[in-house]
Amino acid sequence: MSLLELKDVSKVYGELHALEKANLKVDKGEWIAIMGPSGSGKSTMMNIIGCMDRPSSGQVIFDGRDITKESRKKLTEFHRDKIGLVFQQFHLINYLNAVENVMVAQYYHSMPDEKEALEALERVGLKDRARHLPSQLSGGEQQRVCIARALINSPELILADEPTGNLDEANENIVLDIFRQLHKEGTSLIVVTHDPEVGEVAQRIVRLDHGKIISDKKNESFSEGE
Amino acid sequence: MFFRMIRGTFLRQWKKLLMIALTVALGASIATAMLNVMLDVGDKINEELKTYGSNITVVPQSEAVMNKLYDVENDEAVTEYIAEEKLGELLTIFWANNITDFAPVTDTTVTLNGGDEVTLVGSWFDHHLEFTKKGTTYQRDTGIINLRSWWDVTSGKMLDEQKQSGDGYAMVGSELAAQHNISAGDKITVKGEKGSEQLVVTGIYESGDDEDKYIYTTLSAAQRLTGSTGYFKKAEVSAITSPDDELAVRAAKDPSLLSGDEYDLWYCTAYVSSICFQIQEAIPEANASAVRQIADSEGKILEKTELLMTLISIMSLIGATLGISNLVTSGVMERSQELALLKAVGATNGQITRLVLTEILSAAIVGAAAGFFMGYAFAQIIGRTVFDSAVEMSGMVAFIVAVLIIAVTLFGSIPAVRMLLRLRPSEVLHGGH
Ligand SMILES: Nc1ncnc2c1ncn2[C@@H]1O[C@H](COP(=O)(O)OP(=O)(O)O)[C@@H](O)[C@H]1O
Ligand SMILES: [Mg+2]
Repeated sequence: MSLLELKDVSKVYGELHALEKANLKVDKGEWIAIMGPSGSGKSTMMNIIGCMDRPSSGQVIFDGRDITKESRKKLTEFHRDKIGLVFQQFHLINYLNAVENVMVAQYYHSMPDEKEALEALERVGLKDRARHLPSQLSGGEQQRVCIARALINSPELILADEPTGNLDEANENIVLDIFRQLHKEGTSLIVVTHDPEVGEVAQRIVRLDHGKIISDKKNESFSEGE
Repeated sequence: MFFRMIRGTFLRQWKKLLMIALTVALGASIATAMLNVMLDVGDKINEELKTYGSNITVVPQSEAVMNKLYDVENDEAVTEYIAEEKLGELLTIFWANNITDFAPVTDTTVTLNGGDEVTLVGSWFDHHLEFTKKGTTYQRDTGIINLRSWWDVTSGKMLDEQKQSGDGYAMVGSELAAQHNISAGDKITVKGEKGSEQLVVTGIYESGDDEDKYIYTTLSAAQRLTGSTGYFKKAEVSAITSPDDELAVRAAKDPSLLSGDEYDLWYCTAYVSSICFQIQEAIPEANASAVRQIADSEGKILEKTELLMTLISIMSLIGATLGISNLVTSGVMERSQELALLKAVGATNGQITRLVLTEILSAAIVGAAAGFFMGYAFAQIIGRTVFDSAVEMSGMVAFIVAVLIIAVTLFGSIPAVRMLLRLRPSEVLHGGH
């Protein structure tokens, strides 16, 4: 069964068609890379999937529901329950330490649970850094805190927009390893990137150009686990 | 978590929140000071004006002369009386409608309950006066109920001549009552030079001046005690007057020196001197004189002062609202990324608004509390320097100021909250690439 389906989704900013009649089906547990040059509409697409923006036209079916018709509040709830977000910039709250940053997501979802939050940090290899403030963490570590935060409420889908864009290779590999791990556990992943190396590790690669999907192919070189 | 986030904001944005607290404190202090002064000193000034509310006194001719000659006052030896029935003449003069109240007064020294000598004053309380002249009947309810409107009856009731039959009643000043342990409902015995009376105390009053040591009773009781039935020593008259000008000053010296037109103009203007002149025309054996040129103009000044204070309060609150609005908006702007992030991790608009408002309101409450005490101090300073009177802390002011400050803070936060609602995580978080 498909987790998510975009039907003729367009997003128009004035004259500019940031996204034009995009059709995309994502199955549960799938790992998709969305690739394309800068300005091709990747982030626009991700915002629509992530319930942070509404399309100008078209339908977004998530888990069988057309989320373009939901109220803003419902949309927020929906996004909170189903989707974990990871951004290129690390976007942590700088006066809260790592574990507290993870707990913020718990707080707005249900109940903060420090033990669970620490476990999530452990999964991304940051257990011993839980009490550090973002300013005391390296870029890679900060991004891993963001991933832990995205995981904490067990979302069905992780949406990552250029998650490795600001990372060095070593950290990029750590992040990709975490994605592999998540994929194995059955979480769906949509990773926006313009970095071929990051795209190569996904199951399926969708290419965008000028707001249009120009190709949508299975990745032959994909391998389940190392 | 909520608390940790708020604490985080307090640690990080403490300068901004401190500014909010200070802005609120300033607004609150001015509002508190002005309201306190208005409510408390305003009353006191009004009372003071009414104290001299009897702006004309009427005494017997001869006493007036004696007082002028020998500078003696209330010396029984020179006291003469005016007939009580003559007071009705006041209802017949040209300026009768400007005379708002009047009452005859006879004071004397009595022995209270066989002990101390105290001052007893007999007067009309709410006397119903009927006076017939040339076939016309004039009526008026008048007395010191109106002339002592600032009296605070602390226990019991105001003496009511029309309801209480007979005249064996009295009111006792609060100081005297405390000294002699007199309370409402007690019977007191007073002995004057011509007799003694048993009086039931209907109430205790607080006047804020020497009268707190007096006993007030009906005129007839005082007449019996002094053996002057049908007469009184002095009358207090309260009249609405026009402020004196050059003509009034000249007329006050000697009306007969005015030209005919001037005389007519003077006579037909409610100068205190022309009213006095007409009272003397109506009661030839009396001498009417201005106690103090007051009331109307000073009352207006008070009203204007109050208006000014209200305006200052409003301006300061508007200022506070604008200040808060500015601070809160820039605070939200500074934190737009953080707030957008909260939205991105699933916070609803309501939750974020609550978070921000909690921070602002806590700063505002601290500021308001500080401002309230500052305002109280201001009020004392204003009270002492300007009005020469201490200012009481009023619970009502605290309540009003609290409501105003909450309104001001919420109102000032509207632009920021609107901005916050419009904040779109997609735009803020993806910005920059
Ligand atoms: N809020 C916006 N208002 C106007 N134009 C926008 C907005 N967001 C994105 N765009 C435009 O839409 C196009 C696609 O942007 P985006 O989806 O961010 O591209 P990508 O993420 O692939 O670099 C770009 O030309 C961008 O300038
Ligand atoms: Mg982008």
